[in-house]
Amino acid sequence: MEELDGEPTVTLIPGVNSKKQMCFDWGPGEMLVCETSFNKKEKSETEPGCPFIYIIRKDIDVYSQILRKLFNESHGIFVGLQRIEEELTGKSRKAQLVRVSKNYRSVIRACMEEMHQVAIAAKDPASGLQFSSQVSILSAMELIWNLCEILFIEVAPAGPLLLHLLDWVRLHVCEVDSLLADVLGSENPSKHESFWKLPGNTQTLTELELKWQHWHEECERHLQDSTFAASPHLESLCKIMLGDEAALLEQKELLNNWYHFLVTRLLYSHPTVKPIDLHLYAQSSLDLFLGGESSPEPLDNILLAAFEFDIHQVIKECSIALSNWWFVAHLTDLLDHCKLLQSHNLYFGSNMREFLLLEYASGLFAHHSLWQLGVDYFDYCPELGRVSLELHIERIPLSTEQKALKVLRICEQRQMTEQVRSICKILAMKAVRNNRLGSALSWSIRAKDAAFATLVSDRFLKDYCERGSFSDLDLIDNLGPAMMLSDRLTFLGKYREFHRFYGEKRLTDAASLLLSLMTSQIAPRSFWVILLIDALPLLEEKEVVFSAEQTYELMRCLEDFASRRPVWREPGVQRLQEDVENTKLEMLRLALARNLGRAIIKEGSLEGS
Amino acid sequence: MVSVINTVDTSHEDMIHDAQMDYYGTRLATCSSDRSGPVWQVAWAHPMYGNILASCSYDRKVIIWKEENGTWEKTHEHTGHDSSVNSVCWAPHDYGLILACGSSDGAISLLTYTGEGQWEVKKINNAHTIGCNAVSWAPAVVPGSLIDQPSGQKPNYIKKFASGGCDNLIKLWKEEEDGQWKEEQKLEAHSDWVRDVAWAPSIGLPTSTIASCSQDGRVFIWTCDDTSGNTWSPKLLHKFSDVVWHVSWSITANILAVSGGDNKVTLWKESVDGQWVCISDVNKGQGSVSASVTEGQQNEQ
Repeated sequence: MEELDGEPTVTLIPGVNSKKQMCFDWGPGEMLVCETSFNKKEKSETEPGCPFIYIIRKDIDVYSQILRKLFNESHGIFVGLQRIEEELTGKSRKAQLVRVSKNYRSVIRACMEEMHQVAIAAKDPASGLQFSSQVSILSAMELIWNLCEILFIEVAPAGPLLLHLLDWVRLHVCEVDSLLADVLGSENPSKHESFWKLPGNTQTLTELELKWQHWHEECERHLQDSTFAASPHLESLCKIMLGDEAALLEQKELLNNWYHFLVTRLLYSHPTVKPIDLHLYAQSSLDLFLGGESSPEPLDNILLAAFEFDIHQVIKECSIALSNWWFVAHLTDLLDHCKLLQSHNLYFGSNMREFLLLEYASGLFAHHSLWQLGVDYFDYCPELGRVSLELHIERIPLSTEQKALKVLRICEQRQMTEQVRSICKILAMKAVRNNRLGSALSWSIRAKDAAFATLVSDRFLKDYCERGSFSDLDLIDNLGPAMMLSDRLTFLGKYREFHRFYGEKRLTDAASLLLSLMTSQIAPRSFWVILLIDALPLLEEKEVVFSAEQTYELMRCLEDFASRRPVWREPGVQRLQEDVENTKLEMLRLALARNLGRAIIKEGSLEGS
Repeated sequence: MVSVINTVDTSHEDMIHDAQMDYYGTRLATCSSDRSGPVWQVAWAHPMYGNILASCSYDRKVIIWKEENGTWEKTHEHTGHDSSVNSVCWAPHDYGLILACGSSDGAISLLTYTGEGQWEVKKINNAHTIGCNAVSWAPAVVPGSLIDQPSGQKPNYIKKFASGGCDNLIKLWKEEEDGQWKEEQKLEAHSDWVRDVAWAPSIGLPTSTIASCSQDGRVFIWTCDDTSGNTWSPKLLHKFSDVVWHVSWSITANILAVSGGDNKVTLWKESVDGQWVCISDVNKGQGSVSASVTEGQQNEQ
């Protein structure tokens, strides 16, 4: 077994007897665990079992109301970044990437602010505390991201680097740098002012260095000449301005943390520090500041890794320290766009970026509405995104028609035909169980499921037999080419068309259609008697509707049917029905005979003249 | 990071033997020794067939339940085994409604729904000497060309499943063209009864993966490169100090859950260099957790 960077986290399940085992099941989002005893014996244990089932969730942050805004807004930034990738060229590329980074940070800050408000307004201290700690975590995230922006994305060179770092520290340290204020307000402001006129950028780095050297030497001279001997305070200040570490550390309470110390120290001793030299000062600053009294915290290690330009270490440490994948997924993606990640071939996802995005997106699918964001993340994972989406999207509960349509649209857009078929089948089945035949039919058609379409059509026809009318006429009337999906469906559509013809008094069309329905063999056996009896009203019209030939056909069908009629096994109601049927069939025979006569005469007359 | 968020009181009076979430994770089914005898396992079928559950028990029966109009009814009972039926597993929905059952009589039976309440039974006798403890289906993979088949025509799936038994073996079974099931492979590595096998879901890579666990305390991950033939190579995930009873894969197959006799459930993931590492421990213990009933429904048998 490989060595881990940290011990696996342990989750305790309360109330489960230590002598027994736990059975486990994966759900699509959550997992369940319950106490059991796997040793299969017929008689159960004398000790009563624990009747509880525990639902365990992996991605709890997904359910936080406030973090939801973070997920939503960062999703927009993420998608935007993927889309403009092709357009990112040349000089403006870096500026645009920095802008994206700042966007992410402002989203974090907005979330932090909101959570802070909630923390203050919290009624009970426990939840207030919880929110406050969330605020701290978000603050740390922003701190790290900001540093990464300066070092990796902005790639600040020597000179501006320190300025950026100063801003960084100022932004994240609550108290104003009172030490700096002291210095500014001290004896020789003019000298300091000229030093601070940097933003003009009209000077080169070398010029700056020279100026600073000159000023530094002057300070040193003052110290050696004991100019400030009278005032220990001023002397201390001078030492600080020379970057004397001991002097700086004496003011430890004013420095909140080691990176504040680091930046201040650099300001006075190495203001033109080069990025590659940063790590030298970082480690020693950390050690000096902690002074052996305490050990570095996770945040310290992450920042240190950043100062050392070890991007992989930063990501790794953040992954361990944070409770969800949001931060590392988005930061890594951005850094990948900056072409900073070497590709590590991982088993899941061909590189780290994809691996993290897959983890993050999977977590989103546990949520009843955030899953939609997850879809886009999977889309931008070229190796395993598609298959991951296929596996996850089928598990989304189709609780409403609206949701089902949304899911289907997503699958159809991506040509995920198997998933479309499967989902439509599930919905068709549900509709049939709830007696919504029209809905069931549309789903079967969408699923291109011939067998199911036949089943539903049969139900329609059965309903018609029982009630004498069709439900969902709109749907059946407008089937179009979908009618061809199954024979039974075609029959249903055509039979309805027959009814329409009759209603519109298009009698000859109705007659031909009826006849073709009987002769084409697509009519289910149970329906033949209905078709035959349907001929009656047409035969009783004043005008002759069926030609002689058609009448012969009908007669043949009638006799065919009569000879093959199923024998009724049960007496009673069936016998009565049979009698009614027999009467009708007799009427039909009579009508057919009469019609034949009229038809022959009619056709004969035409021929004659 | 994993946390307990909900507790469901099943009101079972006796030992719960199995609990399963449905396809969507919205409902639970549990089974226990409450009634006439222990019901060992319960399994949900794919929702496209409606709400269907299968259960298997000590009394040699396999029962299939269906929900109609809000109530659960027995829709079929299979009594073709001579002793306890230990495991049931539904085949991938693409194959239709097919259930594999493994029994202590050493046989595996396959029930296929043929329509109108009828189930066809095929039996593999002496699949494992002494007894069969677990069955698990391979994911559906369409062989050959990927051209979309015209509707109504079923693609030719090669149906396979794995079984684990008291002969310390894992066997892979394949359906032949004539509809008979044939033993395709024997996987040997365990030194005691195989308690569970789990075939990992497919993530589109040309490899197949099976996890197995045994009385000997070992969990193996078996992999086969589909493109270069049929050899399966085992990798030892871990040797536990006690019997390992169950293994199961997450839906995207990237995490394996292992339930052991050491009263823990451990979660494992494959690392960059192909080694398996434990990422989480779900342990028994004292502790406070807020108990509230979950929103999902729950079924008891």
